[in-house]
Amino acid sequence: MTGLSDSGNPVAPPDIPAGDLPEAAVRRLQSGAYSSGLSVPDFAACLELGLEPVALVQGFCVMQWAWYGSGSGYMRGMSPYTFGSGGGGYSETYRCPHGFVSAEHRTWGQNLEQPWVEEAWARGYGTAYTRMIEEATAQGAHGVIGVVDRIGTVADTGTTEFHFLGTAVTVDGGRPPAGGVPWSTYLAGQRLTKSIEAGFMPVAVVASLASVRVWAFCVTEYLMEGQVGMGWGYTGGGPQLVEQVSKAHMAARQLARKHVRRQLVGDELHGATIDVATRELAQGDEVIDCTLRGNRVRRFKDFDPIAPPRPTVRLG
Amino acid sequence: MSTSAPSAPDLRAEMRKGAESLATAAPPSQERGITSDLSVDEALLLHAGGWEPLDLVCGVAVVSVPVGVWNWGRGAISLASDAHNAAVDQAATALRAECGKVHGHGVVGVRVDVEVRTHHIEVALVGTAVRPAHGNDPRGRDAAEAMPFVSDLSARDFTLLLRAGWMPVGLAFGACFVYAPRRTAGTAMRQSTQNVELTNYTEAMYSARESAMERMQTSALEAGGEGVVEVKVTEGPMSFARHAVGFAAWGTAVRLVADEHQFVEPELVLPLDDAVVAFEAQSLRGAGGKR
Repeated sequence: MTGLSDSGNPVAPPDIPAGDLPEAAVRRLQSGAYSSGLSVPDFAACLELGLEPVALVQGFCVMQWAWYGSGSGYMRGMSPYTFGSGGGGYSETYRCPHGFVSAEHRTWGQNLEQPWVEEAWARGYGTAYTRMIEEATAQGAHGVIGVVDRIGTVADTGTTEFHFLGTAVTVDGGRPPAGGVPWSTYLAGQRLTKSIEAGFMPVAVVASLASVRVWAFCVTEYLMEGQVGMGWGYTGGGPQLVEQVSKAHMAARQLARKHVRRQLVGDELHGATIDVATRELAQGDEVIDCTLRGNRVRRFKDFDPIAPPRPTVRLG
Repeated sequence: MSTSAPSAPDLRAEMRKGAESLATAAPPSQERGITSDLSVDEALLLHAGGWEPLDLVCGVAVVSVPVGVWNWGRGAISLASDAHNAAVDQAATALRAECGKVHGHGVVGVRVDVEVRTHHIEVALVGTAVRPAHGNDPRGRDAAEAMPFVSDLSARDFTLLLRAGWMPVGLAFGACFVYAPRRTAGTAMRQSTQNVELTNYTEAMYSARESAMERMQTSALEAGGEGVVEVKVTEGPMSFARHAVGFAAWGTAVRLVADEHQFVEPELVLPLDDAVVAFEAQSLRGAGGKR
């Protein structure tokens, strides 16, 4: 996938030159005073771990989405009668059980992974991330903690903004990471402390988007409109499982995990969050976008379980 | 009980050790890394309780609701209720199937998302598959893998439940939709200027509640549970059909696996980080001191 190195870390696409920090940013970063996005308790916990804040680092990237425009070759999936079964990713084709009914009848339908959407998202995410890491690298940081990523639309322009923010740190007396590329984590403060104490070192924040297009065939269309018992093999007057849409939802979540797993390269994913957004583009034409993100961590010592906790009742 | 605290680890040394592990490039690995949506606290507690996370798993089902069922009628809207309960059952089955693929014994911290639309009901369940770290599941490994439990308890509550000698056995769920009976024109006119209870809605709510709770408790018993903990309820009229009220209840069905309930006997703790930070001198004057 675009935006990932062999080790699974997001990297900038080749057309983003390295070391292209704005001049003002370089001046600010060289001023001598550090900045940090950490709260006071997180700041204190950070110093306790021997982490020294270097700078508040950020990365931005605004991407334009162009895939849903009229005339797009991908508007209605890949017809199994003319193109085969899909564009390389996940696809499932459903065929009408009725025979010829009318020219408007949906004789086929498809669940289709949209790799071009996923790659564009990964490009935006990876570029913004790399720009943040680039600022941290310029400061000689070993890692970036308390990472916050915001992904939102830029008002009414049909574009998406990726914004990363975190606090670059150095490890007091510690060695810089291999290749000089700082590690990163969404964690900070006591949660980061507990993760380190438990033997898990952050490697990178990881995320992926899986996008599945649902182009309903006739039976799905009928069921989603409440018209049950409309076809051979789909008889009965009661509620029925809408197989095509259920499978599309499952596929979106499974693909997001598959993409993230590819970035883990044997490491573990902690604190994952999964968000799903569905958009109905037209009747029976739906897009399911699933975003998964979390902390990639590596075990650096044998697991030492904490003592069984003592239950307490808090007074006051 | 001994009060000697364990020695605090040298956090700086641990941090340096962690940094050292990234100072050299890791060899390529084909190992299937663990994924989980547990917080650091939850993961640590789970390990402390002898269990380990395996994989983030999910189950989704979309079930159709036949056209016309929301039209005004009388009594329970059984087709919509059936659709709701079927969607949860199908989603839980898909979740258990994913859990079984990674040899999990159950799923904890399950997030239950339900969307009721006019012609379909969508249920999505997401959680973390877990298993005992040393294989000591009280149900036995084969039985546990054949029928993993589904629980919406957090890993913290799951650990506490185990400590008390109980096990989750499944997600108990019940939903029911009921038509609010029409008032007669005369009743409606008479009540239009009164502050009065609309008993048709109240009774519909009670009816929906009773059926949903009964269904939830039945599903708990079918799963082998003795009771349901952490019950959540949602209720109210449908946004697209105000004359229909819905009630859904769900929680984790549990059963005792120890010989008897293990009392947890919590210690009392008086925290010193009191929220009241300012000393109010006037409080010394007592009630009569106020002027």
